Amino acid sequence: MASSTAAAMAGALTALQPLNKEFVFPVGLLGFPDYQRYQLEPFEPGDGSESPFLLLSSVGQEVVFPLIHPLSLALDYHFPASPELLAILKAQSVKDLVPLLIVTVREKLQEITVNLQGPVILHPKTCLGAQLVLEDRPLRYPLLKPATA
Amino acid sequence: MLVLSRRPGETLAIGDDIVVTVVSVSGNQIKIGITAPREVRVLRGEIYQGLREENRAAANVADSGRKLEDALKQFRGKTAEESNG
Repeated sequence: MASSTAAAMAGALTALQPLNKEFVFPVGLLGFPDYQRYQLEPFEPGDGSESPFLLLSSVGQEVVFPLIHPLSLALDYHFPASPELLAILKAQSVKDLVPLLIVTVREKLQEITVNLQGPVILHPKTCLGAQLVLEDRPLRYPLLKPATA
Repeated sequence: MLVLSRRPGETLAIGDDIVVTVVSVSGNQIKIGITAPREVRVLRGEIYQGLREENRAAANVADSGRKLEDALKQFRGKTAEESNG
């Protein structure tokens, strides 16, 4: 189970390789209409280890969004691809697209959440991206679930 | 704010590309139809505000690198627990 998840994740992230890539968001992210060009790169901890986090930084570094792939959270995350989304990303099929979740880092670690309602959707082949809105998904899903009793 | 009265079936044109139609009125609920170019996002106001605030909170964290590292340590601990249990 754990290894099949890891394999699926490796497959999903392979589509994004190489990771240091520029993506254009023609419509911007919600609340940030002026920033359309972003660099995607892995988040590298100081100790040089690998991490599941990615950083999406506007080209001038004015805004930086930490991201995580849903499979890193063992989430089976599906999203509908409307004709509008496919057109904006110049994609043929939802299979070409990679969803990433924005991480909201807060003061207390237990309060860190990921946004399932507004995933960042990337099309690695065209290097286009968009923020999708899924009204029925939670805006704040805990990154670290409390240990079960 | 511009305020206009419209009846069901009537429309408003916003610029050249956006048309808002009052579809029906029933009690305190109004059904509205919107035709807009695909690059124009149309959302319920509260959904838009929630996502905008969440994006701002995510993008505006001083020292987020260190906090991400701390989160990573706990995250790894949790993942290890799950695969052992």
